[in-house]
Amino acid sequence: MIRNLSRIIQPLMQVHANLLNPSFVLQQQLRTTFILKRKWPVPLHKNGLSPKRLRSKHYVYELVKDTNIEKKPDLNLILTQYVEGLGNAGEKVTVGATYGYNKLLLPGLAVYASPENIEKFKDYVNVETQIKHSSPYAQMTAEHLSRITLSVVMNKENPWTLQKWHIRSSFRKCGYTVPDEAITIPDKPVKGPDMNLEDKEFYVTITINNLEKANVRCRIHHWSTEVSNRIPYVSNFWLESTGPVFLEDAPTLDAMPRKTLKES
Amino acid sequence: MFQLIKSSFISPLICGLNNSLLQSVAVTPIAVRNYAARKGTRERKRKAKVKVTVEKVGFIPHNQRDKEKFLLNRPKRKFDDSLKSLPVDNVYVQKYYKWRVYPFAEAVECHRETHHPDMYNRPNANLQVTIELNMEAEKKTRFVDNFTRIASMPHKFDHGEDRSIVAFAKSEEMQKEAKAAGADLVGGVELIKDIQNGRVSLQDFQFIIAHPNILPELVSVRGLMKRRFPNPKTGTLDVDLPSLINKFLYGVNYSAVKDEYEKDFGIIETVIGTLNMDTKHLEENLASLIKDIYTMKPKRDGPFISRCLLLSPPSREKLKVDYSLYIDCDSKEKVESVSDEEEDEKEVAANA
Repeated sequence: MIRNLSRIIQPLMQVHANLLNPSFVLQQQLRTTFILKRKWPVPLHKNGLSPKRLRSKHYVYELVKDTNIEKKPDLNLILTQYVEGLGNAGEKVTVGATYGYNKLLLPGLAVYASPENIEKFKDYVNVETQIKHSSPYAQMTAEHLSRITLSVVMNKENPWTLQKWHIRSSFRKCGYTVPDEAITIPDKPVKGPDMNLEDKEFYVTITINNLEKANVRCRIHHWSTEVSNRIPYVSNFWLESTGPVFLEDAPTLDAMPRKTLKES
Repeated sequence: MFQLIKSSFISPLICGLNNSLLQSVAVTPIAVRNYAARKGTRERKRKAKVKVTVEKVGFIPHNQRDKEKFLLNRPKRKFDDSLKSLPVDNVYVQKYYKWRVYPFAEAVECHRETHHPDMYNRPNANLQVTIELNMEAEKKTRFVDNFTRIASMPHKFDHGEDRSIVAFAKSEEMQKEAKAAGADLVGGVELIKDIQNGRVSLQDFQFIIAHPNILPELVSVRGLMKRRFPNPKTGTLDVDLPSLINKFLYGVNYSAVKDEYEKDFGIIETVIGTLNMDTKHLEENLASLIKDIYTMKPKRDGPFISRCLLLSPPSREKLKVDYSLYIDCDSKEKVESVSDEEEDEKEVAANA
């Protein structure tokens, strides 16, 4: 009889090979699945006898995994337009699932990086927003720089004329890396020490990657080597405008955004 | 309402009934033990009774309560920016990226810029170095002790400390050399006798150094010197006295201090020169310091120094420099060679 059975089953097996593949049979819904474990395992039943009745304790389960609250894997997406801090249109990015769904897929800023989409977005150029960006972070850096008030600390005793390296080292002291070639200082010379210039503002222009430009508000502060001659520190000095070094700069300086206390 | 009153009337009645019932029950004999429990049992039970002693907890100031909670929330002093990426633009905000590692010469040049007469006007300010250490010893639960050492500086500068040295040597030539090198007091067997007599006090001297050939005679004053007795481990016993004196006179004194709670974090803060010194000289001084620190490295894998920063007051700017240029990192090479071998093996496996 067993032989007969095997004769019947074998062709069936060939046809439905998938049925015997455990991964095919055990195909389960992944989301909202709870994986449970019996607290009291059911005993094996005797050979040839009917299985034992399940007791109530056999219906006590312990939670092994709740797939609904598990961290979802990162998404591979292709951007359809420039996204700040991520990349240009047509670029492949890997982002967190929630951010990817809510901030990129829903607003239509990106599509899934499926083989078809990869083929489709091979050399994609977004015509509507064809503003070129040198890097994903350059625009953010430019916005950041245009908000700050850079304190340019100059000497109170020695004569000086403002130069690029003064601005460069002031930037470095405040935690910004700016090379010399990115800085454009005012055409008119700023000379000191001059107490009329104390706390007065001017702006320098920073060119990021030879493309993005940002005006940065700078403020002159006189610093004496002698402790007794120093000007007392004003806390949150960037909150208030104190007038320009050059009068013609006033409209530009007023138009620039300013950090508020909440932001800082 | 009426019902409530009624129940309050009835309840004492029921209680009375109950009491009489209880009395009638008490009359019926129940098993009561009229004899004493066994002697052994009494003894055992008395012993089993544990005396509950309430320890008085003295007043704890409010700011010292919940110390564990405070320690848990305390920010870590160990610095780690390995998760941050490297900058891609030529202009960037430093805090969003990995710390920039400056070449030594550039870092010194940056400090010179801020101390230029146009700005801070302190061209001869001290160049300080802050070195952060990983104080883990051979085991994870063991830590390197705090240590204070003197590192020799190949290029002298004024460290602002008064140091007095007494040197012991047998031959007169040696004594002359030591005197010429700058020892405050030099002597041989006679000096040892003077010390024994009490004419010379060792308390007046910070450092005691000696040539090995006078060691047998020096043993007689060991009790007076105690821990300061010259020995090669502390570097106070050497054949070359002049260079030893040079080290103790002009070397830089530094100490590694562990954090009180974060035991695997140590910090060294010291000076390696002034900004108006030659850049190469400063670099050699730093190299000498770092080599001296590495002599204290515990026998374990991984780096001893975690970060090396250059700073120069009054500017608060800290610039990271690469310390590994000044040590022959055999450990690094080993790691690389091991990984190479592994890769080779993988390739072999793939080919098979």
